[in-house]
Amino acid sequence: MSRELETKVKLTIYGLTAETGRVPNSLEVARKIDIDESDVLDAFARLHAKRLLVPEPGDSSRIRMAPPFSGVATVFPVEANGKRYYANCVWDAYGIAAALHADAIVPASDGHTGEPLTLEVKNDQPVLHPYVAHFAVPAPHWWGDIVFT
Amino acid sequence: MLLFRSEETVDRWCEARGPLINLKQLWQLALHWYANRLTVESRRPAADEMVSIFGSIGLTGPFWDPKSDQWK
Repeated sequence: MSRELETKVKLTIYGLTAETGRVPNSLEVARKIDIDESDVLDAFARLHAKRLLVPEPGDSSRIRMAPPFSGVATVFPVEANGKRYYANCVWDAYGIAAALHADAIVPASDGHTGEPLTLEVKNDQPVLHPYVAHFAVPAPHWWGDIVFT
Repeated sequence: MLLFRSEETVDRWCEARGPLINLKQLWQLALHWYANRLTVESRRPAADEMVSIFGSIGLTGPFWDPKSDQWK
């Protein structure tokens, strides 16, 4: 597989996600750029090796994470550009605003009490609050189990 | 309220407390990781780049070093 095709698949994944709010599967990517699904699956594997994508465990045709986007609903929804996206974690919630270069609202909550805590990005800047993000897993282990991280 | 198997696992859970970062630092991390994610050039930072990015916003030490062997 050419690097060019791998890049095309990467851009299609992210383009479709930004456009629809939903992370596409291999068939949807194949149809969008008119190539064989098997080539898309090869590209998924290469992008996974580069840590740009995490396939759904047990089903390599589906994407669990295309960071900062999540392929499944999470507790970090992100409202931007009139759509709802899902982030993998609080870092990725801001990451979606950064990737889209868009204003965003994240209706999150306190990790212990569940109290609603809203994050907001306006004009490329976060609206600051005294909130803190907690990192439980050290950097050397982030990709040991990235779904847990 | 959380459920634990034993007092020992409560102790381990409490010891797992990692660092805290503020929203300004979090936004900087998001920009470094994802600002060009929808472009041809997008890639994940290499380990040395990560250390440099973390250091630039005051996050230093083995917790923030992807190559640290402190937790092996």
